Amino acid sequence: MLGYIAIGIPCGILCDSIGLNAFQALLMSIVFYSGAGQFMIPNMYLAGAPMASIIASVSFVNTRQMLYSAYFAPFAANVSKRLAFFFAATVTDESYGVSAAKFQEGEWSIDRALMVNIFSQSSWALSNFIGVLLGSAIGIPLNIAAFAMTSIFICLLVTQKLTSANIVAAVVAMVGVYVCKLVGLSGPAILIGAVAGVVVAMIFCALRDKAAKRSAV
Amino acid sequence: MSWEEFWIILIGCSITILICRTLPLFLLKGRELPEWAIRSLGLIPAAAFAALVANDLFAPGMFDGGIWPAAIPLLVACFVVVVALKTRSLLWSAVTGVAVYAILLLI
Repeated sequence: MLGYIAIGIPCGILCDSIGLNAFQALLMSIVFYSGAGQFMIPNMYLAGAPMASIIASVSFVNTRQMLYSAYFAPFAANVSKRLAFFFAATVTDESYGVSAAKFQEGEWSIDRALMVNIFSQSSWALSNFIGVLLGSAIGIPLNIAAFAMTSIFICLLVTQKLTSANIVAAVVAMVGVYVCKLVGLSGPAILIGAVAGVVVAMIFCALRDKAAKRSAV
Repeated sequence: MSWEEFWIILIGCSITILICRTLPLFLLKGRELPEWAIRSLGLIPAAAFAALVANDLFAPGMFDGGIWPAAIPLLVACFVVVVALKTRSLLWSAVTGVAVYAILLLI
């Protein structure tokens, strides 16, 4: 919960910097409700990325939510459709981590998990609201507020499982972003870099599996 | 950002994330995703976060104006990596990043 406040306030400050008001930030936090996504939007907007590129990049980064949704499917099999929907619609990286661990232990249910989600969402929305008010009241240097986001992405990156496929994906993605910027494609750089990382890592896995099969025979 | 741009981005991003969040839960109902799908979805976070970090930290010609100002974010990033690995906490990573960045800018 404290985590949401510490991240939500800088996020609100960034939203203020692109001219969103507190109501817009609140609306975005409730309807869209994605920490990484809400940091990406002002960041890409400030960098002058076109709208289509912003939506495509943010959506791509958020496809990881499908994994969480698939994970919770067996636990939601016996609850009402409406409850399952509200639960699924409010899962985030952090609340997935919390609820996945509790479901593993047992003694956990979809309605309790939904309560956790709603608490998280409220503190996120509220701290974004406060962030916008703070941002418009005092001049916090933008590059400092933006670094809150960079730090979060670094944390999310280094806490990924250290598999060889993940390392290939990450390195290719980083090189891909740099190359895109070199050739002047800074708008879609994130999307192109990340897709390149996934594709190359999939090829890497396929080749590795083939090699493993061959040596097994 | 104008109201019009705000609505386009809000609605566009909200629809895709809502689909990603709810569809697998309803379609699967206990069945498993095919293996290639799980594998590629599993690779997305590493690739996406790496791309986001690279986008923030690296730009062609970043050292043209001298080493020091451009090196600050890289140096702060090193601190954040250490804290992130030790605490695995988004909160402490964000606090460290902002605090160290502010201190280095003052020097």
